[in-house]
Amino acid sequence: MSNSGEIWVIGEQRQGKLEEVSLELLSKGATLSQRMGVTLSSVLLGEEVEEVARELVFHGAEKVYLLEDARLRYYQSEAYARLLAGIIKEHEPQIILIGATGIGKELAPKVAAKLRTGLTAHCIDLYVGEVDAAPHLIHVVPGWGGNLVMHIICPQRRPQVVTVKPGVLPKAVRDENRKGKIIRVKPDVRDEDFRRIETVEVVEEPSQGKSLESADVVVCGGWGMNALGDFSRVQELADILGGVVAGTRPAMDKGWVDEARMIGQSGRTVSPGLFVSLGASGAMHYTTGFMGSKVVLAVDQNPQAPIFQMADIGIVGDLREVIPCLIEELKKDA
Amino acid sequence: MGLEILVCIKQVPHPDHFSEIRLDAGSGRIIREGIPAIINPLDRNALEEGLRVKERFSGRVTVISMGPPQAQKALEEALAMGADRGILLCDEAFAGADTLATANALFYAIRRLGKFDLIYCGNETVDSGTAQVGPQLAELLDIPQVSGVQEVTFGDEKTLEVKRALEHGYMKVRLKLPALLCVTRDINKPRLSTVQSIMEVARKEMIIWKAKDIGAPPESIGLKGSPTCAAGVYEHKAGRRREMMQGSAEEKVRKAVARLKELGAI
Amino acid sequence: MDFNLSREHEMLRDMVKEFANSELAPRALELDNKGEFFWEQVRRSGRLGLIGVINSKEYGGTAMGHLARMIIIEEMSRVYPPMGFFHQTGNLLMYAIETFGNDKQKKKYLPALCKGEKVSAFALTEASGGSDPANMQTEATLKGNDYVVNGRKSWITGVDPSDVVGFVAKTGDKFGAFIVEKGTPGLEVTRREETIGLRSLPVNEFALTNCRLPKENLIGEEGRGLVCALTTIATIGRTGAAGVALGIARGCYEIALKFAKERVLYGKPIAVLQAIQFMLADMNVEIEAARWLCYSTAWQLDQGKTSRDLAVDIARCKLYAVDVANRCAYKAVDIMGAYGLSPEYRVIGLLRDALELGVAAGSQEVMKITIGATITR
Repeated sequence: MSNSGEIWVIGEQRQGKLEEVSLELLSKGATLSQRMGVTLSSVLLGEEVEEVARELVFHGAEKVYLLEDARLRYYQSEAYARLLAGIIKEHEPQIILIGATGIGKELAPKVAAKLRTGLTAHCIDLYVGEVDAAPHLIHVVPGWGGNLVMHIICPQRRPQVVTVKPGVLPKAVRDENRKGKIIRVKPDVRDEDFRRIETVEVVEEPSQGKSLESADVVVCGGWGMNALGDFSRVQELADILGGVVAGTRPAMDKGWVDEARMIGQSGRTVSPGLFVSLGASGAMHYTTGFMGSKVVLAVDQNPQAPIFQMADIGIVGDLREVIPCLIEELKKDA
Repeated sequence: MGLEILVCIKQVPHPDHFSEIRLDAGSGRIIREGIPAIINPLDRNALEEGLRVKERFSGRVTVISMGPPQAQKALEEALAMGADRGILLCDEAFAGADTLATANALFYAIRRLGKFDLIYCGNETVDSGTAQVGPQLAELLDIPQVSGVQEVTFGDEKTLEVKRALEHGYMKVRLKLPALLCVTRDINKPRLSTVQSIMEVARKEMIIWKAKDIGAPPESIGLKGSPTCAAGVYEHKAGRRREMMQGSAEEKVRKAVARLKELGAI
Repeated sequence: MDFNLSREHEMLRDMVKEFANSELAPRALELDNKGEFFWEQVRRSGRLGLIGVINSKEYGGTAMGHLARMIIIEEMSRVYPPMGFFHQTGNLLMYAIETFGNDKQKKKYLPALCKGEKVSAFALTEASGGSDPANMQTEATLKGNDYVVNGRKSWITGVDPSDVVGFVAKTGDKFGAFIVEKGTPGLEVTRREETIGLRSLPVNEFALTNCRLPKENLIGEEGRGLVCALTTIATIGRTGAAGVALGIARGCYEIALKFAKERVLYGKPIAVLQAIQFMLADMNVEIEAARWLCYSTAWQLDQGKTSRDLAVDIARCKLYAVDVANRCAYKAVDIMGAYGLSPEYRVIGLLRDALELGVAAGSQEVMKITIGATITR
């Protein structure tokens, strides 16, 4: 690990609003910067986003490299990748954290490839640990096939780049008293950047109801809900608990939830105060989606289901009996 | 006219059998033997898209995969779906590759193939799910690329407009060929092979290349070419309480609710 | 001996499995309840090249052979037996024309049948008994350039939706095999039989009343009708019924096995109970045995052996596979308790379908007669 390179969080803004994952990355960045004794900075691209840059400072960035240009208003594949790679080469940070959003997942590999460096996707944790008696940044990644977790390192090349899924790490706390430097960098945006590829339209459709990631309670139904025929009981339970409905991939395939409500490795990640899993057996690519939850209640008919390893409270039983029972019991207090 | 279309595919363990995958205590490697393998589902969407483009504009579809010898079966399946020829990059030198080293191997192979117009990839695999190889390959080839593609519209001869997913909404991007598109399941429904197309597989070209056949420098591929590497695989200690409720259904529910209240969850 | 399926056969199995899981399984219960013929699925099968798998490419077939056909029928029947059974009855006339017909007949009928745009049936059975075809009453008398046909055929699967029907009739003291097209004056499909299984394949009677058929509707030579019919029924009918049986047996086994692993009684999945394991073990062994009897027979047909050479093999695989299917279905219903009797869980439907196989393409007892008579010759 190099001694003085900074830790950089690539901030992501859309329509002038900072994506929450950037705040999550800043909190982890702060932990690492303290541990390693290096500066935590951030990079932000866009147009008229100085306020967003300030938010990054309030959430822990000691420096923010601000690249503003009218043509950078929206994410532009070639321009963003080239400019980021450029500023990285110039300042040589040693670690780069990028949110694994739809955009981040495309931008991060482009930048890493430009720099011919290592990139690890959807980390669930990062910490400085020892491998073969030497200190390394450990990239913790969920592995498939049971309760497996992989530790990845990038021993040689710099910077090492990692992406982290939204909703996994805690957010940094906002403090308006924090002081940080906003460094305006005039980005060298060229016509050539838009000749081969150009974003022509961005349409944001606000989701109805509470977002999955900010809900206190998430009630998630899986394939086992087949026994009840539909998701109406899942909704009922969610309503009583004041939570939101989600589903596993099989539930999505069955049409009970749409993709925006699918929990799992290739879907959404949540860390609510209470996560209720109904009739989902607990395959790893599902459980990584809610690992960060404070308390997990699981209901399934199979006592051997792996979900019970990932739960705090487990109920084995026929869903057709247990779920109505649960609803009745909770109604008693309401 | 005729477009040269490339489709990158990967053979992965069947998701229904993920729970059977074991860890080798000694090497720390994943043991995949005996697990049924399939073409990565999104790669079939990618191939379907390539086949439709070929049917519309005429051309040739070449499928490429980097993998062990059994990955040839995945390529055969792709030929059965309608691809014209298959290329397997199979060599010990490719093993242990992270996404950059994989992208490098594909890069050198594609360079050997020559001119191309379009490359299709599945957005991510069901096993590692990084969604990185497509964008990295495009970077090495220095061509424009979009991830999360849901829809493709052909404009004039060399221009495309694609619609790509965002968390809440979408983005429209205009691209010039040659380009690389990483597609999602929204884009199409992959076709089934037919009896006729299955019987034609034996007559189609299947090429197997080693690292030296594509001129891939040893330091760019495989374990040597991987900036990242695995430092260990562990049992995930969830740190969960794992309290199983006992009794009748009513009793279990009552105890669970009481416990949840104690834990402050409700 | 290499017991592995060729790569093509493997890929074929995978494709049919996917077709069955994605397009047949979701509609299976609904189609069974409706009892209607499944035109959409048939056309789809035709487009995939699955119907004409024993017909030559020259006439629109895919010529992949009998083992391929066995695999197709097995995989479809695993999920939806009527579809597999359609590939049995619907293939009969296609084989008869291919093997005994002339070029004109092949060109006229086979392409549409291979594509699934048209369907066919084949009629041997009458009230006088399917097991006793030599005593049939339906008669075709040559008058000038036409045959005039009179008679009634019964228990004919698929004749109602069929565009073209093959049948056997007496011609003097011999027999002839004929083709009649729907809409021909004198052909009338009459009463539909209520069947306990394979409900979306209508089984009907049909009557021929002074039905005039031109000479060119005769398949092969006059007098060769019974040979044509029996060869066809042995090569296509019996192997087809065996394939359906294999599929049903495996379907029941897989459903029961999955259920046993998930169903909890006394705090454990019932799969740990010896009683259940013994039943599953029996099913496992029998299915495997039936599979090899059937596959080896189909393989030998692909090597060019005739149904005459393989009379015993064919009878044997139909006899055994159908018995196995019935036993497996019954065991599956048993293992699943009350769920086994619920149509939603499929095994009771599979049992009903299995019951229909006993008399298909020759009864189980006729199979034993074939075997017994041949081995004691």
